[in-house]
Parts: sequence; C-alpha cells; structure tokens
Amino acid sequence: MSQRYRLISCLIGASLAVPALAQAQAGGATIPDTSSAINSWKPLSQRVVHYEIEARYDAKAHSLEATEVLTYHNLTGQPLDTFPFHLYLNAFQPTSTWLREGKREGTRGQDFKKWDPKSYGADEIKSFEVVGQGDLTSQLQFIHPDDDNKDDRTVVQAHLPQAIPPDGYVQFRIKFHDQFPKTLERTGWDREAILGGQWFPKVGVWWHNAWNCHQFHAYTEFFADFGVYDVKLTVPQDEVVGATGIEVSKAKNPDGTQTFTYHGEDIHDFAWTASPHYLDYYDTFQGSMGPVKVRIMMQPGHLGQLERHRMAVLETMRRFDEWYGPYPYKNLTVVDPEPGSQSFGMEYPTFITAGTTWWMPNGLYSPEQVVEHEFGHQYWYGMVATNEFEDAWMDEGINQYTEVKVMDSLFGPYTSFLNLWGITAGEREGNRLFLVPVADLDAMAQNGWQYADANSYGGVTYGKTADILLTLESLIGEDTMRRAMHTYFMRYRFTHPTKEDFLKTVEEVSGKDLRWYFNQAVYGTQVLDFEVLKISSVPVDWYKESLKEEKGKTEYISNVWIHRKENFILPVDIEIKFDNGEKLREHWDGQDRWIRYAYQKKAKVESVEIDPDHTLHFDRNNFNNSRRGEPNGKAARKLADYWIFCSQLLAQALAWWLV
Amino acid sequence: MPETQSLVSAATRIVRRNKRYVVWFYLMNLLFAWWGATAFAIHAHSMLDNSLYADRLVRGFDLAVLLEMLGRPEFGPMRASTVPAMVFAVVFFVASLLFMPGVLLGYASDHRIPGEEFYRACGRNLWRFVRLFLFFAIVAGVVVGILGAAEGALVEAADKTSYERLPFLTDVISLAIIGLLLTLGRIWFDIAQTDAVLRDQPAARKSLLSGFRLLRGNVGRLLGAYIVMAVVALFVLAAGVYLWHVMVPSSSVFGAFLVSQATVLLLLTTRFWQRAAAVSFYLRKLAEPSGESATAEAMAAPVS
Repeated sequence: MSQRYRLISCLIGASLAVPALAQAQAGGATIPDTSSAINSWKPLSQRVVHYEIEARYDAKAHSLEATEVLTYHNLTGQPLDTFPFHLYLNAFQPTSTWLREGKREGTRGQDFKKWDPKSYGADEIKSFEVVGQGDLTSQLQFIHPDDDNKDDRTVVQAHLPQAIPPDGYVQFRIKFHDQFPKTLERTGWDREAILGGQWFPKVGVWWHNAWNCHQFHAYTEFFADFGVYDVKLTVPQDEVVGATGIEVSKAKNPDGTQTFTYHGEDIHDFAWTASPHYLDYYDTFQGSMGPVKVRIMMQPGHLGQLERHRMAVLETMRRFDEWYGPYPYKNLTVVDPEPGSQSFGMEYPTFITAGTTWWMPNGLYSPEQVVEHEFGHQYWYGMVATNEFEDAWMDEGINQYTEVKVMDSLFGPYTSFLNLWGITAGEREGNRLFLVPVADLDAMAQNGWQYADANSYGGVTYGKTADILLTLESLIGEDTMRRAMHTYFMRYRFTHPTKEDFLKTVEEVSGKDLRWYFNQAVYGTQVLDFEVLKISSVPVDWYKESLKEEKGKTEYISNVWIHRKENFILPVDIEIKFDNGEKLREHWDGQDRWIRYAYQKKAKVESVEIDPDHTLHFDRNNFNNSRRGEPNGKAARKLADYWIFCSQLLAQALAWWLV
Repeated sequence: MPETQSLVSAATRIVRRNKRYVVWFYLMNLLFAWWGATAFAIHAHSMLDNSLYADRLVRGFDLAVLLEMLGRPEFGPMRASTVPAMVFAVVFFVASLLFMPGVLLGYASDHRIPGEEFYRACGRNLWRFVRLFLFFAIVAGVVVGILGAAEGALVEAADKTSYERLPFLTDVISLAIIGLLLTLGRIWFDIAQTDAVLRDQPAARKSLLSGFRLLRGNVGRLLGAYIVMAVVALFVLAAGVYLWHVMVPSSSVFGAFLVSQATVLLLLTTRFWQRAAAVSFYLRKLAEPSGESATAEAMAAPVS
C-alpha cells in the first residue's frame, strides 16, 4: 500500500470513527431521513435535531407532564460541550425579561395591572440526562445572554462532562412539567381551549461560530434548527386537537383520554391546540410539489366566516406557490382560536392561528389579513428560517411585504384592508402610517429587543420593511422583484440566511448595485420627505399696463420648486400639469436639497405632483408631495360637514338626556 | 295602547302646530356645531386645499388619508378640534335648558304665544330647570352607576363562557334596561319641568313630586309613547345614514350636507315630540275632574 493510499485510508477511518464515537455516546441514535410529512422523496433540510416527545395534558390544571428525547447532530465542525435550551414558558412570570419589556412598552397582552399567580406560566425541568454522560439536572444554569435580568429563566444551559465531537450525536432525555399561562400573548389557555406554543425545552442554534439562544422577548421569539419531530400528545377525549405535522395515529385510552401521534419533517418548531369546541373543515390545495391537505378548525360561532378563511388560505397558497416557490409540506392547519384569545395571529410550522370575531363585517378584511400573514410565515420564518431576534425585518417585514402583494391582488390596492360603507383603506397605506411616527428612530437592521419602543419595533420591522420593499419594486421592476424573491426563497429555504444574503440576492437578480438604497433604507435611519415647496406663474409682460390675462393667450414664466426636506436621497419623478391640459414629466436625482424647474408657456401651472405614479411608499408626508395652483377646499368642506354632523349628534344626545 | 296612540297623536299635532321651535333649536344646534367645527375646518383646509392627495377624500373616503391628516403635527393635536366641539355641545345643552320653558309654554297653549311671554317663561324658570337638572343628574348618576357596575360584572361573567356573543348580548340587554330606566327618569323630569312651567311652581321638589305621582299611575301609557318616539328616532338616524350612503355620491359635498342635516332635524323633532307628549299628558290630567287623584289637587294653580 503506497503512502498515498495509507493517508486516504486513515482519513476514511477517522471520518467513520468520529460518528461511531458520537453514536455510541448517543446510544446509536441518528436523525431520521424519512419523508412522509413532505411532498418530497428526500429530506429538504439539513436535519440537526430530532425531538421525540410524549406529553400528557391536564386540561383542568392547564398543565402538562412530558418526557423529551432530543437527538442533536453536531454539524458545527467543532466539539461542543455546552448546550443552551429555551424554556420559554418561564417568560410568563412577573420578573421575566419578556414581561419587563412588555410592561415598559405596553405591548399586546401586557397592559394589565394585576396578574393572578394562578395565571402564570412555567416550564420546569424535572430531570435532565445526557445519554452516556449521566444526569446533569443539578448542574443546569439559567443564563441571560441579552440583558442583565438575573430573574429571567427563559434560557438554561447544560455543560457536558464530555464534548460532542464534530459530526457526532448527542441525546438528551428531559422530563419536564409545563404550567401554561392564561393567554396574555402567543401561548396558553383561554376558558377550555389551549394553544401550546413554546412549550418544550428547545435547543439553541449554533450560528456564526457561537450558540444563538436568546431570551424570550416582548417582540421576538423564533430561531431554531430544522429537524424531525415525533410527538405523542395525550388529552381528554372530548378535545379536538390540531398540531404541527401530520397526524400519524389517534387512539382512545381506557382512562378517558386519547393519544394523538404527530410527525413533522424539515420543521423547527412544534405547536398544538386543543378545545372541545373546534369544528373541522378540510380542503386540498394542489401545489406544485403535490397536494396539501388544509384543515380549518373553526369556532362554532364563526362558521359563517369559514368561506372567508378557506378562500384566504387557498388563494394565498396559490399566489405564494406561483410567485415565490412551492409549499412542500403535506398539510396545513389553520386554527380559529378561542374568541378573545391573545393566541390569535400566530405562526408555527404547518400550523397557524387566525383571528376573528362573530361580528366581523364582510368589507373589513381582518380575518383574511391574519390568515394571509400567518401563512406567509410558512415561507418567511418556517422555511426561510431567519433569526427573528436579530433580523426581525426579514421575518415579519418581508412577510408584511408579501402580505401587501397578496392582499392587493385579492381585494385591490386601495381597498385591501377595508372596503365598507364607502370607507376604504389599503394595506400599503396602513404600513406607511405605521412607519411615519417612528421613521427616524431605528434602523431595520437591529436586534429585536433593542428598538426604542413597541411602536418603533412595529413601525420599522413591519411597516418600513414592507414600504422599503414596495419602493424597491419600483426601482428594479415588479417582475424583477418577484424573481428576486423567488430566487431568495429557493436558494435559502431550510437554511438560516442573513440580511446580506437577502440583499445580495436582490442585487444579483436585478443586476443593479443597490447599496446606496440599502445603506439608507436597511442600515440607516434616514427619512424620506419630498415637498413641492412652491409654484409660481408670472406673466412675461407683467410690466405692461395694458396686460390683460387671457387663458391660452397670455404667456407666463412658471417656476416650480421641489424640496428634499429630509435626508433620504432618492431619485424621483415630478409631473407638472398646466392649465391648458399639457403635462410634463421631470426626473430629479434628489441629490441636492432642492431643485427649481422653469417654463415659459401660454399656460399657468395648474398642479405639481412628486412621484405621480405613487411608487414611493415611505415618504413621511404625502400631503406636501403635490400642490395646486389654485386651492380647492372640497375635501376640507366635506370633512368639516362630517365633523359638524357628529358635533350636532353629540350636542343633541347631551340635550336629549339632560334637559 | 289606544291611550298611547292618542297621546302620540296629540303630541304630533302639537309639534306640527309649533314647528318654529324645532326649526329654531335646529338652527341653534347647527350654529353651535358649526362654531365648534371651526378649528377642525381651519386645520383641514390648511392641510388639504393645496394637495392633490386630498382628492382621495373627495372621490370616496380613504380612511388612510384621513388618519394621516389627523396624525400630522401641522394639523395640531386632536383635542384642538374635539374640545371646541364638546364645548359647543355643552353650550347647546345650556341653551336648551334656557329656552325649553318657553317651548313648553308654547306647547301648552292653543295659540301662538308672543315672544315676550316666551322669554318671560324662560327667565322665570331658568333656575327651576337648573335645579331639576341637578336632581335628574343625581338620580341618573345613581341609576347609571349602580346598573353600570352590575352590567360590568355581568359582562365579565359572560366573558368567561365559550358563547362569544353572550358578553355582547349581555351588554345590549343591560344597556336597554338602563336606557329604559333612564327614559322613565326622563319622563318623570319632563313632567316635572312641565309642571314647573305651567303651574309656575317655584319649588322644584313639588314639581318632582307631582311628576312622580303622575308617572306612577301612567307608566305604561307614557313609557309606550316615549319608546315609540325613541324607536322612530333610531329609525330616522339609521335611515338617514343609509340614504346618505346609497344616494349621495361621495364627491357631492352639498348632497351629504343636505341628507345629514335632514337627519339631524328629524332627530331633533323626535325629542320635541316627546316633550309635546309630556305636555299633552299633563294638560289632560289637568283637565280631569279634581279629586280623582292627589295630583289633580296639586294642580289647582292656574296655567300662566
């Protein structure tokens, strides 16, 4: 055997030996490479984890006893001897970081003054064993990587006596007890219903050569590795249950309970719900990778809105499939949660919660919007699994952008949120209004827990991202933008892309250097505000005493001043309309603070409009983007009349009851 | 029921005979509301008149444009618009308190009373009406306070059930009951006010007592009439808004103004209708043979 062959033999031997050692440590466990829950013959993701959980839910106590076997495949390329885990139900305690942030910001679900301790949540590890290394329960330590809150118990870390070698496997056997909170946000129970999210110890993500396992925050909560989930869930027999993944089996037990078995592949989380009240409806979406069974779990009082939910989810799936790429899973569960529950509008792999009320009128597209948005997260979170904690805009914001696209295509651009009794509102305007008050506070590229406040997080992460991408669409073209989104999805699905991955994909597909735009829009806090500063039309013969102005005959020198009030630099079109019907278009690079255009015509300037095609979606003030030569008070009179009417009603109501 | 019908018919005749009061009160209502809306209108004109963006409020009603306008710093704080509207609503209430005695006197008369008599009644009864208003405010406050708290507790309990509409239905039924009780209170005080004016009764407590006695024996009849009129008022409001929506093009500012003002005028008329019912009822009681009730005895004083 030559020296060369000996070297190759050694390398092969070493590469085989390492996993053998690791498998020995993990009791010979591997990650399954099955494909029964996806429309694909092979795994779609690099499967890092395999969770096998057996849980028994006590509906009366809203608590759960479970055992979890987690098999972790060390694909980090280096030995690992510490492992952090989420214990996110511990956030639902008064001293948690989530609650402190929420109280500081007044975010959804946390505006209460008293909190009954019976409504707290908790995730308690009863035992923690590393197969082959023994019980490490007593050595677990709570850590708080994002702040100095020593009372936060949402991340726990285990230090292993023996490191797990590269490409090795390790298996954790964890017994835990969950106490679900009364739903303040995201997860918990309401009346007889339960929405189980963030309910089991979940390992962090090794990312950029370090563990990435953030605490549970007021706005952000998702980042995990892909893998396989096998979950056995035992609940009372009167419960209707829905969950992530496909239902493999269902068995009734002699003790009045029933056990459901779920299996999910190429997913990074698992959520479930149970309630005696759900009514099930099924449909099928014929996707480009195969049929998808769509299950809609409705509240009895919302059955009249079943068709709205069905239409919204199927039409959204169709558009996403056509525009961005296929939905590869075999099923999707849409849950209409318990009325009034704060668990509405949530996303988990193959499982989303909608949100409506019994009185929802047809022209208010809130249920459709929620269904669309949460389904969108199957792509922007579910498959393109960005780090929500650090790049929330890539999750919520890109999803908000695609929401606008879908809702606009379903209901029309100016009526995509509201079209009721003559009152209208569009999604894109809504996003801009969300952004306007906070436009200069935070950049999009920012850790989710470090925004100025809840409004800034919402306005920037959701509103600004959508507006920035809608405007980007006008810079590179709608078709190019759609191709860029498609490329981004297909290239980065089942991975954890960074912001630069997204931005470079857009540049690559468009063939344009867009750094000037991204630096301001994504990394900066620049604000866009163009203004028609003034217009004037002065007769050329103004000095002649005999001058008598006549429309179409008198010659005018007209000037138009355009002003860039803020610091976002962007080229823009300007339309000047003259009173003889003539229209002119100018293109300004926007580099200077202002520009003046001068014309000499037998017509006066009737109006000037910046961005006449309405392609800039984040201008802070749309009112000053245009100016008339002569004012028109019709809109103000209309509003004033409405105001008078309301004032009269108020006055009459007062006099009706008190005089 | 026939008694209720006859009361409603009599009240209708009184209102028709005295249309001028409704018109004057309507004009007063419009004028005060117009003043109250001045700040809003000035701000709106300054933002909208020169902008093409405002066209989206004329062609249809784009809520986003309205919200953006209200949110702009140059529009000023919302309270700059709402406070004047509320102040002038209070002014209208005070004016109603001031002029209502004259209206009641006019309603009780079978001829058109001269202006001097109208204003004298207003002047003589102003403080009586203020005192009656304070009494009513206390009574209504207690009723609303107690029932409102009960309503809150019931709604909270209803919210714990899985029947989603139950809190809403509980709310509606509770509010209907509160409304009904307040209407009873309103009838009581309407009769008391009528008593104060027509009997020139300076002691508010005596008018209240008289009103209470009259109401006690005629609850069904009076409540029936008042409810009929209140239902008509609700119908007027709903129909007005509906017609506004279906008949008036969104760009027709004048059309919207006409329909909205017609609605307001008719709504005001229904309240005067109730007033007329109280006067008509009071006069009938006055005309009944004395000795029938203690109330009748108390009404021996001449009508001014």
